[in-house]
Amino acid sequence: MNWILKNLFARHKTTMLILSVVFFFAASAAATVEVSAQKKFSKIYPASKNVRLQLMNRTGTVTVEGWDKPEINISAYLEAPAANIEPQSLSGTVYINLVRDNQGRNEVGNVNFLIKVPYDAIVDIETKIGNLNVSGVRGSLVRAHISSEGDITLTNISADNVAAENVIGDIFFDGSVTDGGSYRFTSTRGNINLRIPFNSSFKLIATAPSTRNISLGDFGGANMKFVSDGRRVVGQSGDGGASISVTNQRGSISFIRR
Amino acid sequence: MNCEDCQKSISVYLDNEIEPEVSMSIQTHLAICAECAKMCEDFAMILDFCTLDEVETSLPPNSKALWCRINNLIETEIPPPTAVKVTEQNKPKRSWQFSFSQVFAAVLGIAVISSLLTIVGIKNFSAQELSGNTAPSIFDRALGKIGIIETPQQTRENRIKEQQTAIDYWNKRVQTKRVNWNANLREAFDRNLSEIDQTVFEYDKILQENPHDDLSGEMLDSALNEKMALLREFSEL
Repeated sequence: MNWILKNLFARHKTTMLILSVVFFFAASAAATVEVSAQKKFSKIYPASKNVRLQLMNRTGTVTVEGWDKPEINISAYLEAPAANIEPQSLSGTVYINLVRDNQGRNEVGNVNFLIKVPYDAIVDIETKIGNLNVSGVRGSLVRAHISSEGDITLTNISADNVAAENVIGDIFFDGSVTDGGSYRFTSTRGNINLRIPFNSSFKLIATAPSTRNISLGDFGGANMKFVSDGRRVVGQSGDGGASISVTNQRGSISFIRR
Repeated sequence: MNCEDCQKSISVYLDNEIEPEVSMSIQTHLAICAECAKMCEDFAMILDFCTLDEVETSLPPNSKALWCRINNLIETEIPPPTAVKVTEQNKPKRSWQFSFSQVFAAVLGIAVISSLLTIVGIKNFSAQELSGNTAPSIFDRALGKIGIIETPQQTRENRIKEQQTAIDYWNKRVQTKRVNWNANLREAFDRNLSEIDQTVFEYDKILQENPHDDLSGEMLDSALNEKMALLREFSEL
């Protein structure tokens, strides 16, 4: 049997080689077609100090990263059927509203954004469905709102006001807590994990009524009290300069030391 | 006899205190003068009325009471005699003099009562805080029943009604829009709405068992707000 196969391969070596080359090109062409179905949109706006980015997406992932350039760089990858996208820059705010830009259209593909903003930018992003990621931003506000499902990841954030809300999905915050700041995290089902410096000073109201799964880690102590049959934690860490409010209707809440 | 003489003598004539010759001449004049005859007739009628026995019938009814009222009116119009002013000096002095032990006992009593009230108040407050339940007092419930104050449960019910109205409104809008959504969008919406509805159902159940569970009330309110937001935000699509 082996002898027959060897003989066949030797006899049709050239044919096999040609077939391989044809298959390779066909596969490459198919991949090219797939990539070309995703359009790319790019635009750069000069940014003043404390510029504000206000984005409303329909569906897709949004990633916002802080950088040290005084400009906002918007890159959007539009899946078919491609959405209309018409950003506007008005008096220190860059607006992107895909809901408004595509009003009346039945079929609109996902739009995945990668936006780079100055470190001190104010970031206010929303989507109906999809993940939201923000990193390396230290402006006065970071707000991430998902109307339905998707994860929210906020890393290396140093903002006075932070708000993250979704219905189904995880929320992860890794950043500092500023005195006088306000931090609000709300979910219906998912896990909320907050990684903050140990010396953070804040007043806390954390509520997980369904699971009663509230883990304070190193922040648990005499000043933190479980109330309402363990469904809520109320207390203070340090001088209580900031205010942290966490509500997870059907999920867990965890504090991690940074 | 003329009319003037006749009218002057008519009263005497009716009293029969007149001489016969004069009486005859009056009668003659009255027979020819209609005016004087009429006057004589009026006088006679007045005399007849005055001689009636039942004079009392002409008095107003319950004349004694009328007199009393008149008397009262007259008396009220008379200024009252000036009251003698009692000056501070004339006032009789009350002697509120307590012994030291009485004062001490009163102060101690007040201190003990206020301390007890404070302790009871703090205990009740912390018990409610820890359990998350705030059952209204009997007094509050009574006032609530007669509609003077709104109990927390009534407030919650009213709030839920308002939220439900808003939810119905946004739901209608979503129903008209969702026809145009693609399958992924519809599935995601339904999944999230179902998650919120499940949450609402759970809190509703808890509140039926324990209507005074404030935390569940708060969470129900929050879940209904989320439902409202989900419907509103998807109605934009």
